[in-house]
Amino acid sequence: MENRPLEYDYTIAKMFMLTTIVLGIVGMLIGVILAFQLAFPGLNLILGDSLAEYTNFSRLRPLHTDAVIFGFTLSGVFATWYYVGQRVLKVSMAESKLLMTLGKLHFWLYIVVVAAAVFSLFAGVTTSKEYAEFEWPIDVGVVVVWVLFGMSMFGLIGIRREKSLYISVWYYIATFLGIAMLYLFNNMEIPTMFATSPAGESGIGAWYHSVSMYAGTNDALVQWWYGHNAVAFGFTVPIVGMIYYFLPKESGQAIYSYKLSLLSFWGLMFVYLWAGGHHLLYSTVPDWVQTMASIFSIVLILPSWGSAINMLLTMKGEWQQVASSPLIKFMILASTFYMFSTLEGPIQAIKSVNAIAHFTDWIVGHVHDGVLGWVGFMIMASLYHMAPRVFKREIYSKAIMTAQFWIQTLGVVLYFTSMWIAGITQGMMWRAHDEFGNLAYSFIDTVTVLHPYYAIRGIGGLLYLVGFLMFAYNIYKTMSSRPIEERELQSASPMGA
Amino acid sequence: MSIAQFQAYGYFILIFLLVVVLYSYIYHLYTKKKDADGVDYESYSNMALKDDIDDTPVSAISEDKEK
Amino acid sequence: MFHWLEKHPFFFAVGVFIAIAFAGLVEILPNFAHSSRPVIGTAPYSTLELAGRHVYIKNSCNACHSQLVRPFKSETDRYGHYSLSGEYAYDRPFLWGSKRTGPDLMRVGNYRTTDWHENHMKDPKSVVPGSIMPAYTWLFTNSADIDTTYAEQLTVAKHFSVPYNQDVPMKDGSVKNVKMAQSLAEAHEIALEEAKLVTADMKDQDVKDAVNRGEIPEIVALIAYLNSLK
Repeated sequence: MENRPLEYDYTIAKMFMLTTIVLGIVGMLIGVILAFQLAFPGLNLILGDSLAEYTNFSRLRPLHTDAVIFGFTLSGVFATWYYVGQRVLKVSMAESKLLMTLGKLHFWLYIVVVAAAVFSLFAGVTTSKEYAEFEWPIDVGVVVVWVLFGMSMFGLIGIRREKSLYISVWYYIATFLGIAMLYLFNNMEIPTMFATSPAGESGIGAWYHSVSMYAGTNDALVQWWYGHNAVAFGFTVPIVGMIYYFLPKESGQAIYSYKLSLLSFWGLMFVYLWAGGHHLLYSTVPDWVQTMASIFSIVLILPSWGSAINMLLTMKGEWQQVASSPLIKFMILASTFYMFSTLEGPIQAIKSVNAIAHFTDWIVGHVHDGVLGWVGFMIMASLYHMAPRVFKREIYSKAIMTAQFWIQTLGVVLYFTSMWIAGITQGMMWRAHDEFGNLAYSFIDTVTVLHPYYAIRGIGGLLYLVGFLMFAYNIYKTMSSRPIEERELQSASPMGA
Repeated sequence: MSIAQFQAYGYFILIFLLVVVLYSYIYHLYTKKKDADGVDYESYSNMALKDDIDDTPVSAISEDKEK
Repeated sequence: MFHWLEKHPFFFAVGVFIAIAFAGLVEILPNFAHSSRPVIGTAPYSTLELAGRHVYIKNSCNACHSQLVRPFKSETDRYGHYSLSGEYAYDRPFLWGSKRTGPDLMRVGNYRTTDWHENHMKDPKSVVPGSIMPAYTWLFTNSADIDTTYAEQLTVAKHFSVPYNQDVPMKDGSVKNVKMAQSLAEAHEIALEEAKLVTADMKDQDVKDAVNRGEIPEIVALIAYLNSLK
């Protein structure tokens, strides 16, 4: 032990790679089931009448969103942190027993919380707030896991050899702080078990039940400040952190402009939080909040595109790599989808557009071109880049990777195009009046018309899931493919046929 | 002063300050190009490119007890 | 001065925190000063209605149904008067939803009946041909959780001064007094009385029998809640 040279220790990164893949499959599978349930409602009884309560659309929907956000994406964030963090700080987890223990504790407690969350959502124990469905006992668990993540992150930063923090680390720190603040404030709730009746009874009812500290409009305002920024700090910030490391590393190109990356960071941090109110346009929150949210959503294009363009320009003069390497393809397409959905979002936040788009499938389409195209592609690309380095083996198959890329791209395109058409169709039909000023369509007309688009969306989602299974298989086979030498790992990842 | 007025003034002052800070940051980045340790900002990209454990850090934590 | 932050992780974190917390401070906190006050005609949820609200939440009805009428002619034509902030004063949590796979339910109590809901929950296609909503048959057998409902009533009455057992003004000039029980046993009695009013308009014999035995199936509570949405 003493005479062996110091190496990066990827034990915990590997653990989180596993959960990224497993929870990704779970979350996406439920998503595909949900998509087909909308097209073919008979599928609500997929496991028979007796289990209908647990397989119907409404019970599964929070499981899908939470599995993808807190399962797949967060695992991906953790996995890449435990990889990138060590490398850019030039310090190994093996150098500190304490950090190793914290990391392992972080992983196992995370598993416990995930299990509890899945169980409780199936049972219908939910607060109903989107992406904050967990009741207070699980919230406590989430906070503990998050504190452990923070301790191991700042612990590693504390023993670093590199004086300056690389831009990716900035984004990971922001992820930690942002989620911590948002989650705490949105989940302020009073457990009902503490209530005492005038007759002196206490501990009445379900011990895990709680009631929100905020009511009505206030609750909505806090919830969408959270809901929007959970997207910011779960789906944007850490993923930008990933691409700032993995794209330059894989392509061997320095970031086009490091200065621009610093500027975009501060811009994103400041602007993003204001935009939450665009989920509440034309609702009962104060008008100035709505207007401000609309304006800031437009401003948000600047820092978002600052990062995205920086990434695309990093490939300047090296575009042949996009043609030759499927891994670079994934990252460039991810960056393109990032530009695309950060343009689409602000468009939807314009009040007159929002009047049509809100409550329709266009919003669902927007979320998914961001999450499938940007988050999913970037996490898979990161794991592909990490795999040869943590397993010391070449990626099993380049051919599978290329095929997967095209299958999934087709899936995403089918998904968002069908949802655009569905959303705008529905929005227009809801507001259509006939020549006498009466509503032109009953509500059910606007549902049945969507059937073909729901079916196409289901197929798009299915293609993406198939691609993800190919990814899982490819990573699994990588663990037993040809061993490689250290020198093969400088930039482009080695791949087998 | 009502809470709405307080809010309006506070909002304006803070936004103004932050705009000043942001622009002076941009001015600093693009005129100086180097930070106070004399490291070119662009060379920080090498933190990702040369990230093996035995690579030389771009700017190592110095011997003096700076934290 | 600028390079300094990125080499001092602690102060860097403080800087990031200020940048991100700023929006919340300006945008959200001040609104709490004028926290939403109930408009006239808005009363707290009765025991059975609140139990029904829990059923609504348990089954994530809000995943597909909004409770927010926006101020457009097409929406007021379809659903009734646009929403007012004060109407949500007793909604903890709010249930505006974010997607209308099905229609808005903000004022569903104005135009749907107990009978309609009963048929709809058993087999949505029987009343709305072409509906893609699944049937919610288990609501007819599961029992509503009155205990937890009562605990929630006690909690909101104590911490948020929700006016139970007090007169609140209604639109027609009358007052309404929503009763909250003094003990758990009384809470069950109150809920059961309300349940009997609902089942009077229902057809399902098993549900009627259950209520006569003193049980309250989830469907009864849910219908009480939906009827209260006006």
